[in-house]
Amino acid sequence: MSSHRLPIRSSELIDRSTSLSFTWNGRAYVGHEGDTIASALAAAGVEVFSRGMKYHRRRGILTANHWDPNLSVQVGDEPNVRAGSRRLVDGMQVSAQNVWPSLRWDLGTANRLVGRFLSVGFYYKTFMRPQFLWHNLYQRILRKFAPGGRVNWKTGTHGEYDKRYAHPDVLVAGGGPAGVAAALSAAEAGASVMLVEQEPELGGHLRWGGPDDLAVLADLRQAVYSTPAIEVLCDSIVTGRYDHNWVAVLQRSHEVAPERLIKARVGSLIVAPGLVERPYVFAGNDIPGVMLAGAVRRLINLWAVKPGSRAVVLSANSEGDAAVLDLESAGVEVVAVLDARAGEDVVEARGRGRVSSVQTGDGRILRADLLVTATGWTAPTSLLNMAGDRPVYDKVAARYFPQALPDNVLATGGIAGDGSTTELTAHGRETGLLAAQRALRLRHDRRAQTPRSPAPESDRPAAIADSRIPLRRSPHPECYRSTTHGLVDYSEDVSSKDLIQAAGEGFDSIELMKRYTTVTMGPGQGKLETVNAAAVLAEAMAVEMADIGTTVWRPPFSPVSLGALAGRIFEPVRRSALQDWHEANGATNLLAGQWVRPDHYGDPMAEASNVRENVGLIDVTPLGKLDLRGPDVANLLDLVYVNRWQKLEVGRVRYGAMVAEDGVVSDDGVTGRLAEDHYLMTTTSSGAGAVWEMLEDWLQTYRPDWEVHVTPVTGGLTSINVAGPRSRELLERLVDNVDLSADAFPYFSVRTGIVAGVADCIIWRIGFTGELSYEVHVPSGHALHVWESLLSNGSDLGVAPFGIEAQRILRLEKGHYIVGQDTDGLSKAPTAGLDGLVRLDKADTIGLPELRAAFERTDLPVLVGLQPDDPTIVPDEACQIVEAGSNQILGRVTSSRMSPTLERSICLAQVDPSLAAAGTSVTVQLVDGRRITATVQEHHAHVDPEGARQRV
Amino acid sequence: MSRHGYTYSAGKLLRHGLTRGAWPRMWNRPERRDSYDVIIIGGGLHGLATAYYLAQNHGITNVAVVDKGYLGGGGSGRNTGIVRSNYLTPEGVAFYDRSLHLYNTMAADLNLNVMLSRRGHLTLAHTDSALRTMNWRAEVNKLLDIDSAVIGPAEVKRLTPSLDVSPNTRYPILGALYHPPGGIVRHDAVVWGYARAADHLGVHLLQETEVLDITCDGGDGPDGKGPGGKVTGVRTSRGDISSPVVVNCTAGWASLISNMAGVPLAITTHPLQAAVTEPCKVFLPTVVVSGSLHVYVSQTDRGELVFGASVDPVGTYRVNGTLEFTEELAGHVLELMPGISKMRLMRQWSGLCDMTPDYSPIMGHTPVEGYLVDVGWGTYGFKAGPVAGETMAETIATGRTAELIAAFTIDRFTDGDLVGEKGAAAVGH
Amino acid sequence: MIVVPCPNCGPRNSSDLRNAGEVAPRPDPETASLTEWRSYLYLRENPAGWVTETWYCRSGCRRYFTIERNTATNEIRESENS
Repeated sequence: MSSHRLPIRSSELIDRSTSLSFTWNGRAYVGHEGDTIASALAAAGVEVFSRGMKYHRRRGILTANHWDPNLSVQVGDEPNVRAGSRRLVDGMQVSAQNVWPSLRWDLGTANRLVGRFLSVGFYYKTFMRPQFLWHNLYQRILRKFAPGGRVNWKTGTHGEYDKRYAHPDVLVAGGGPAGVAAALSAAEAGASVMLVEQEPELGGHLRWGGPDDLAVLADLRQAVYSTPAIEVLCDSIVTGRYDHNWVAVLQRSHEVAPERLIKARVGSLIVAPGLVERPYVFAGNDIPGVMLAGAVRRLINLWAVKPGSRAVVLSANSEGDAAVLDLESAGVEVVAVLDARAGEDVVEARGRGRVSSVQTGDGRILRADLLVTATGWTAPTSLLNMAGDRPVYDKVAARYFPQALPDNVLATGGIAGDGSTTELTAHGRETGLLAAQRALRLRHDRRAQTPRSPAPESDRPAAIADSRIPLRRSPHPECYRSTTHGLVDYSEDVSSKDLIQAAGEGFDSIELMKRYTTVTMGPGQGKLETVNAAAVLAEAMAVEMADIGTTVWRPPFSPVSLGALAGRIFEPVRRSALQDWHEANGATNLLAGQWVRPDHYGDPMAEASNVRENVGLIDVTPLGKLDLRGPDVANLLDLVYVNRWQKLEVGRVRYGAMVAEDGVVSDDGVTGRLAEDHYLMTTTSSGAGAVWEMLEDWLQTYRPDWEVHVTPVTGGLTSINVAGPRSRELLERLVDNVDLSADAFPYFSVRTGIVAGVADCIIWRIGFTGELSYEVHVPSGHALHVWESLLSNGSDLGVAPFGIEAQRILRLEKGHYIVGQDTDGLSKAPTAGLDGLVRLDKADTIGLPELRAAFERTDLPVLVGLQPDDPTIVPDEACQIVEAGSNQILGRVTSSRMSPTLERSICLAQVDPSLAAAGTSVTVQLVDGRRITATVQEHHAHVDPEGARQRV
Repeated sequence: MSRHGYTYSAGKLLRHGLTRGAWPRMWNRPERRDSYDVIIIGGGLHGLATAYYLAQNHGITNVAVVDKGYLGGGGSGRNTGIVRSNYLTPEGVAFYDRSLHLYNTMAADLNLNVMLSRRGHLTLAHTDSALRTMNWRAEVNKLLDIDSAVIGPAEVKRLTPSLDVSPNTRYPILGALYHPPGGIVRHDAVVWGYARAADHLGVHLLQETEVLDITCDGGDGPDGKGPGGKVTGVRTSRGDISSPVVVNCTAGWASLISNMAGVPLAITTHPLQAAVTEPCKVFLPTVVVSGSLHVYVSQTDRGELVFGASVDPVGTYRVNGTLEFTEELAGHVLELMPGISKMRLMRQWSGLCDMTPDYSPIMGHTPVEGYLVDVGWGTYGFKAGPVAGETMAETIATGRTAELIAAFTIDRFTDGDLVGEKGAAAVGH
Repeated sequence: MIVVPCPNCGPRNSSDLRNAGEVAPRPDPETASLTEWRSYLYLRENPAGWVTETWYCRSGCRRYFTIERNTATNEIRESENS
C-alpha cells in the first residue's frame, strides 16, 4: 500500500512523531495524532469508504469533514461514526457499514441490475396484492436493506454520560475568524462568553489558508486564550436553539463522558458557523475521486495527504482557485481548470471504483483520477430557523441569507455575507459588541426582576443601535446541476432525475418532494442536499429558486447520542425510614408510584391471618400526610371534602372523600383534629402530592382570605399501623401518657403521646384492616427504634410485620374501596357508595353542581361486594361482568382475592345499576374465557360488616 | 380499478423502467369553483378521507378540500404512524377496529402501497396498577373480538429481545398488553392514497388556500354566526366560496376555525413531539409503548428508531420543539433498552394535538346547521383517519349521525356524558 | 425550556414550575346552571395569541400566580391581575 502522505506542510495538524495503530475492515493501519480516521486511511491509499444506500456503488471522500455523507463507519460498537471528523485513537477498530460480505465484494450491488425499475417511490406502486406476500416476504426483504451501522444492544450499557448547565452572556456558535473576533469584542465589553467550535481547533478556513491567514489565526488564538472571560469549547457543536435562548451544546471530547450535553441559558447567541460547500450535480458525481474543493484543501493542508495524481478542477469561486494552487503545491498535476464563471462545465465523471476520466461541457474527455468541484455554498441556517428566521434566497450570490432575527440572535461570518479576513473579523467585532450590550441589559433586567437578589451594581446599560455595515454579497454563478443527472442526496441515493419525476407526479412543493423521495432525510439532514434539491425543483417547475423556499431545518443541527441526551439517568425512588429493615428481614419489594415498599415477607396469607388473630405491624409511610394549621382549616375541609367538618371536636377523626370539579371521585382519607387550630389530613399514597398542590391552589387563588398553613409531612412522619385484636395490649406496653382504653380513646380518635420514649408521636385509632388498630406516626428519625420496640415487646403476643399484599386482602375482606382501583376516571360519588357521606346542602364544595346532578341520576354504575358462587375461583381483577349469553358488558371486577378468613374468593365490582341489588346473580367472564356466576352481596364488607371487631 | 385513473402495479413499474416513460400526476391543482356541495377545511388525512368516502360511498363529488399549506402538512405528516384497536371502552374499540379494518385493505382499495406493517404492538406495564389496566383492556378487547392479551416478561423478551426485562430495574417490565394486529403505516402514503383517489373521483384539492372566515346566516351571535344559524360558505385567501356544508377537519387549529362559525370547543391545543434516530441495522421487531415512561418506539424499514411521547404539559401553538423532550425521551428509552446509548438522535419535530377533556374526539353536527366537526383527536387522529372519513361522509350524506360516532357528539360536554377513554390514555400509542 | 418569572423567585426555568392552564373564572356553585358549570369545566378560549394563565412555583416558593403568555410565540408578560 502506497503512502500518499506529503512532505511536511506548515499548516498540518498531524504530529509525525506519534504513531497510532488501528484496523480498517480487519487490516492493520497506522496514522498520527491529529489525523482523522479518513485522513489516516487516505494517507494509506484507501479510496473506498462506504457503499451507497440503494445501489451500493462505491463511495470515497467527498467533503473530508463532519458532513461527509460517504464517511460513515462503524468504530467498535459505535455505529455511524463520522470518519471525516472523528480523530484517530490508538487501537480503534474501524469497519465499513452496510456491506455484505465485504466492502470490496458487496452483494448489494445486485440492486444496480434492477435499478431502472426501482424508480423513486417504487415501493408505493407495487406489492399491493396479494397482501400476504407483502406482510410475509417483501417487507422482510426491504428491512434487510436498511442502511447504517450495527447497534450492539446485547452488550451495550449506558455509560458515564454527564451534563452541565451554563449561563454565558454571549454564546458564539463557530470559531472561525468572525466568531473569534465576536467573542473577543463581547468579552472586552464585559460579557462572559462561551465560544463553541465544531473542529478540534479554532480558526475555520484560516487553518488551511496561506501564510497570511495562518499569521492572523495565530494572533486571534493568542488573544482568545489570554482572555479569561472567554471559555473555549472545541470539538463541540451547538445542536439547537430553543425558545428564550435555551441553547444546547454537545461537547464531543470530554475527559470522562463520551459526549457531554451543555444546556446554556444565553443572553445573546451569535451564529457564525461559516458556510458548507455544496456538491455539484452531474453524472458520476459519486465516484470516488470526485471531491469538493474544501476537501482537497483540507486533505493537503491539514493532514498532508495527496488526494490524487491528475486533477481536473471545476471552479466557480476563489475556493476553487485556491484549490488549484494547493494541488500544484502538493505535486498533483492539474490537467485542466474549468471556469464555471466563464460557462465552462463538467458533464460526466467516469470510472470504476475511482475516477479515470472526465467529460467536459465542450465535449473534451480528460484523463484524470481526481475531479474537484467548487460550485458554491449552502448557508447552514439551522440555528436561525430555530430562532424563527426564514432565510431568503439571493439570486446574485446564489445562496440564502438571514432575513429577520430576534434581538437575542445575531449572525456574522460567511452566513451573513462575504469579505476578506479583515472584513469578516471587523463584522465579527461589531456583532460581538452589539451582542454583549444586549446581553448585559438582559442580565441587568433579570437581576432586577429577582426580588431577593442584590440590586444590580450598575445602571442598566444603554441600548445601542445595530449600526453594523453589512457584509457584501459577492456575485456567484448559480451552479447546481450540469446538463446531466447525478446524485443530489448521497446518503439517500436520490438523484436529480428522481426529484424531477416526483415533481411531475404532483409532489411539487419542497416538503412534499422531501417526503416522497426522502431527499434530505438522511443523517446529514440536508446540509449538502437542501439547496440542490430546491434548485432541481425550481428547474422542474420552471420557477425561480426564491419561489421554492426550503424545508425547515429542525434540531439537532448535528446528531446527538441518546446517551448524551439522557446524561446520568436520575430516576429516584422514595424509601421510608424503615425500608432498610424490611429488606434486611426478608421483604419482597413492590414499586408503587415513587415508593418502594414491602409487598410481603414470605407468606401474605399467613400475615393477614396473624392480623385477624394476634397483631401485625405494617409500614404505611407513603400515606400522604398534610399538617394543617390556622383558624380556617374547617372551612377548607368543608370546601374540599364532600362531607361536613365544622363540628369535628379536638381529638376526633373523620373520614372524608374528595371529588374534582367534574364530580369524579379524586381522593379520600381521614383527617384528625389535634388541637384547636391544628389538623392532620391523610391522603392516598399516590394522591399526596396532587392533594397538597390542590389545597394550595384553592387557598391562594380562591380563598386568599382564609388563614390556613399547609405543610406536607409525608416523609417526615413514619407511619406504622398496629393492627389486630392484641394491638391495644401491645401498645399499652410502650405508650406513656395516653390512656388507650376503649372509653378514653374510642374509635376514630387521635392523640399525641410518647411511644417507646419518643415524644410527639401521633396515635390514631383508625383502621383499614377492620381490626382493632392504631396508626402511629413517628418522627422519622426515631422510626426504627419504635418499630423494633413494637416487635421486641410483642413477641409473646404474636406480633409480626405484614406487607401490602396482606393489607390488600384485609381491606378487601372489609370492603374498603381504593380510589383509582375500585373507582376510575368517570366514577362519581354515587358509584363509590358515598350517598350517606355527601352533604348537598353546603354553600360550597368542590364539584357541588356535579354532585347534585350525579345524585339525580339512576344510570351510574354501582360498586358492590361480590362473591363467586364457586368459592375456589378468584376471578382476576379487571374481569368483565357480562350479560349471560352475550358479550354485552355490564360491569367489571375491580378487586379480588382469596379470603383467608372466610376461606373463599371475594370481590368488589362495579356493576350496572340493574344488577346492584343484593342477591343478584351475575356472570363473570374469566381471563381464560370461561364464564362463572357470582352473587351480589348486601355490603361491600365480606367480613364483619357491622364493624364490631374494630370498635372493641 | 378505473377510479384511480392510472393503476399502479408491478407490471407498470416494469414498463416505466423499460421505456423510461414519465409517471402521471397523482393529483391535480384544479381551478376552484365559486360553490361546492361540501367544503372540507383541512387537507390532511381526515379531510381527504372524508372527501374520498363522500365521493366513493355516496356519489357526492362536488366537493372541495381546502388547505392553507400542502397536503398532509399537519398532524398527518407528523405522527408516528401507529395503528391499533386495543382501546378501553367498547365505543373506542368498535370505532378503531373499523379503522384498522380499513387500513388492512387500504393498499388494495386505494391502489397505493401504504406499507402497513402488522408487526405487533406491546404496551408495557411497570406497576401492578398498570398491569390491572392492561388486563382491563385485554378483557374488554376479547369480548369485542380484538386480538389482545396480557403477556409476561419472558414472552415480552421473546418478541422484543432488545428490551431489558430483568426484575431489578427502576421500571421493571411486569408484563405487557400484546396486540398482534397493531403496527405501523407509512403515514404520508395514506394521505397521498386518499388524495389521489379523491382527486380522480372529481374532488377538488385546493392547496395553499387559507380559510379566513366561515360565513353564516341567522345565528344568535355576531354576523349571524353561532347556534341557531346556518352555514353559507367560507372566505379564503383565494376568494369566497359558497357551500351549504362546511366541515372542520383540522387539528391544531380546530378551536380557531370553529370560532369562525361561533361554535366554541372543549379543546386545548398542545404540542406532541417526536424524534428519529440515524438508521441502524434493524433490531426492533415490534412497536413498544410504555405509559409510565411516556415513550413509544418502533423501527422503520429504513432502520431509524421513531420515538414519540405524551403531549407537552404546556399548551401552545408553537411547533419548535424542546430540548427537554429529547432529554427525557432518551433517558426513558435507555431505561427500556440500555444498550443503545450510542445511537444518535437525528431529527426532532412536533405537531399540534387538540386535547379534549375525555381524550375522545368531537364529531358530527353542531348547533350551526351545515357546520360539522371532526376535531379534538388528541393523539389518536392518525389511527382513526379512515373510519373518521367514512363516518363523517355518512353523517354528511344522510344527515344522520353515524352510529359509530354517536358517543362522540359535541353535546356530551353539556350533558355530562364523557367517554371513559382517558383512563387508558396517558400515553396511548 | 422557557423562562417564567415567579413574583417571589424571579425568572426561573419552566421545569421548576407547573403550568396550571388558562384562567377560567369559577361560577358560583350555588347559583350556576349546569350548562354554565360545564362551560367552566370544559370550554376554553384556547387562543393562538395572548392567554392569561396560572403557574405554580412547584420547586420554589409554592406560589400560584398568573402571567400572560403568547401561545404563538411563547413571549411572556406580566398579567394585570397577578
